[in-house]
Amino acid sequence: MAENKKVLVVGGGFSGLTAAIETAEAGFEVIIVEKTPFFGGRVTQLNKYFPKLCPPNCGLEMNYKRIKNRGDITFYTLTEVEKISGQEGSYDVTLRMSPRFVNDKCVGCNACAEACPVEMSNEFNFGLNKTKAAYITHNQAFPFLYAIDGKNCKGESCAKCAAACKYDAIDLNMKPQTINVNVGAIVLATGWDVYDISKLDNLGGGKVANVISNMQMERLASPNGPTGGKILRPSDNKPARNIAFVQCAGSRDENHLPYCSYICCMASMKQATYVREQYKDSKASIFYIDLRTPGRYEQFYWKVKDDPNVTFTKGKVANIIEDPETKDVIVEAEDIMAGKKIKMKFDMVVLAAGMVPSTKTAKIPGDITYTPDGFVAAASLKKGIYAVGTLKSPVDVARSVQDATGVAIKSIQSARR
Amino acid sequence: MAEQIIKPDVNFINDIIAAGGESVKKCFQCATCSVVCNVTPEDNPFPRKEMINAQWGLKDRLFSNPDVWLCHQCSDCTAYCPRGAKPGEVLNAVRKLSIQHYATPGFLAKAVASPKALIGLLAVPVIIFIIAIMMQGHSFFPEGEIIYAEKFMKVPYIDVIFSAAALFAVFGFIMGISRYWKDLTRDMGVSSNPWQRKVKGPMIAIIFETILEFITHKRFKKCEVTKDRANTHLFVFFGFVGLAITTTWAIAYLYGYEFFGIKAFSVFHFGESPYPLYDPMKILGNVSALLLLAGILQVITNRRKNAEKAGAGSYFDWLFIGIITSIVVTGILSEVLRLVDVRMLAYPTYFIHLVSVFFLFAYAPFSKMAHMVYRTTALVFAKYSGREEKKF
Repeated sequence: MAENKKVLVVGGGFSGLTAAIETAEAGFEVIIVEKTPFFGGRVTQLNKYFPKLCPPNCGLEMNYKRIKNRGDITFYTLTEVEKISGQEGSYDVTLRMSPRFVNDKCVGCNACAEACPVEMSNEFNFGLNKTKAAYITHNQAFPFLYAIDGKNCKGESCAKCAAACKYDAIDLNMKPQTINVNVGAIVLATGWDVYDISKLDNLGGGKVANVISNMQMERLASPNGPTGGKILRPSDNKPARNIAFVQCAGSRDENHLPYCSYICCMASMKQATYVREQYKDSKASIFYIDLRTPGRYEQFYWKVKDDPNVTFTKGKVANIIEDPETKDVIVEAEDIMAGKKIKMKFDMVVLAAGMVPSTKTAKIPGDITYTPDGFVAAASLKKGIYAVGTLKSPVDVARSVQDATGVAIKSIQSARR
Repeated sequence: MAEQIIKPDVNFINDIIAAGGESVKKCFQCATCSVVCNVTPEDNPFPRKEMINAQWGLKDRLFSNPDVWLCHQCSDCTAYCPRGAKPGEVLNAVRKLSIQHYATPGFLAKAVASPKALIGLLAVPVIIFIIAIMMQGHSFFPEGEIIYAEKFMKVPYIDVIFSAAALFAVFGFIMGISRYWKDLTRDMGVSSNPWQRKVKGPMIAIIFETILEFITHKRFKKCEVTKDRANTHLFVFFGFVGLAITTTWAIAYLYGYEFFGIKAFSVFHFGESPYPLYDPMKILGNVSALLLLAGILQVITNRRKNAEKAGAGSYFDWLFIGIITSIVVTGILSEVLRLVDVRMLAYPTYFIHLVSVFFLFAYAPFSKMAHMVYRTTALVFAKYSGREEKKF
């Protein structure tokens, strides 16, 4: 019998967590690394997720518990892969861990954040609000330890947080660490980024205050988001009762993302239900080229379509401007079925922005080939290295999880060689 | 919607592809184009519907649709098209096919669009002018001071040949436009007799408004991606207008003298050419020629610069540009070579000039030159039928 090697999982989102836990529960040691200070990935940022439309904690919370209850999963946050060498059965990997400046003594009391004088854009909320440089993303974050942002923190010269901490949990002298590990298999699960809507110049992205991305909409609707779950528009915090959803904002477009991002039609329909459920008289208008509801999701479309306050217009929105007085958003499209150019005014517009693989911008070190769009070309991966979920093509959570489960058995095979 | 039976014409789809609309099938009907287009009417906008008609090969719907000519190929649509379907280029191909469809006789239209027939088409004026020179008993390289009108091609010959060419073109245009107008009016469900229908204003006023629009290039200037095109087109347009005035003026000089005995006075040189450089007619001619030269050179530069965004253009487009370039370059050179007295080059250059002008005139209804007439007709119709009523 060959020796059982460890498995390294890169990326702590839903796919990575699943791959790690499934592998560990089969009796293998796992190391899971996450680039940010917290696990959970994109799913954590959602208000509800398909297929059951439960909040992210349902699912994630259980996975965190599975990790915490086992001794054979080592997890590192703020950690990235620096180098990979070797072959299936024995990969030497260099990991680089950035300092969190907060140790395990942290109890999450928020005193450091209150003391911290530095404000920075809250990237967890896609810039919809500000956060302190000493922060935690939300009240169910894992690990539940504050983090101090190395880029924005003024360091020892300020140290107000350290003075405020009653638990001796802050150490501003923490240094980056290099960790070398030997593993039998590597699972790549570094996930995706939302397409930068400021590149959509004709859709007002980044220019028109009340034009937001679908991921920003998730944060607005989320109880742990910047508005406590109230769907308020950014310009004046008024309730956004009349919302347009612009499909294929970047996706299926040679000038931006030349592929369908798979989830955006479902996301917009789901978000239409957020606003419909929150405000009685609210309206949602979905502008589309084709509605894509993969597999059984079609049934969700039937349900949303039955709501008379949700309208579907065939015709891609290609021009968005701001009403300078009211900050309302004027949307222009051709209503193809009616054969008319239409201009309509909305409180807020949600751009159904597409999925960009994280490897489009952050390549994984080593001999990995990518498609022109930045996805990992899975067939070209070396034996013992596996890519999961949205790294290969845009998919939803359920398919990512299935993929990760399958990859768990693959990596076990590699780890035993 | 009422039931409609449509008959796709597969050959016509292939014609569009061959005419430079090879991207037509890439369109997935998202309607981005109709929205970003600055020159389309709000109601029933183009070019999204033209794209699906083209994909289905619905020839009649495209030809009888004035929108095909309301399009100025700004390429705003092409730049924003998520599929690289290039609606601007597809409509350009449809316009070319439309010119060919309405042209009479049809075989000439086919010939003008085909590089293989170029030699044959050029041979016609070449032979005509060679015969004319021989009939006058002139040498191809006359001795002495260069006087084109006296020693090479006398005015009556010029007049007869070019009048015939112009008449031929006018006849072709009348035939083509009357058929086009019939198709336009049939499809929009209005009477084919413009005078029997209640219109928004008198026809004359509509035509006047359209011409005014051309003079200012108001519509063309709404283009964004290929912004410079409106200006370069204005150069070419006014270059031609200037040269047309010059020609009329020259006729007045010659026949004013011959038939009415008007003698030269002050700077006005009634009588036979060549005229001195300070004559106002000569100044106008030279300025117009330079305007045309500047314009056409910019057209060429812009086309090359915008090739990626707006398409490189087909043979049909480049033949037209080539002929205009040839006319203006040989025209200016003929004058310069005459002034510097290079006999052996001056006469052949002038000969090419005559051939080029003949080519432009005689083949106008079959070449891209016809865009002038068809676009005017389509715009007049659009205003007349209320298509253009809504201002965006």
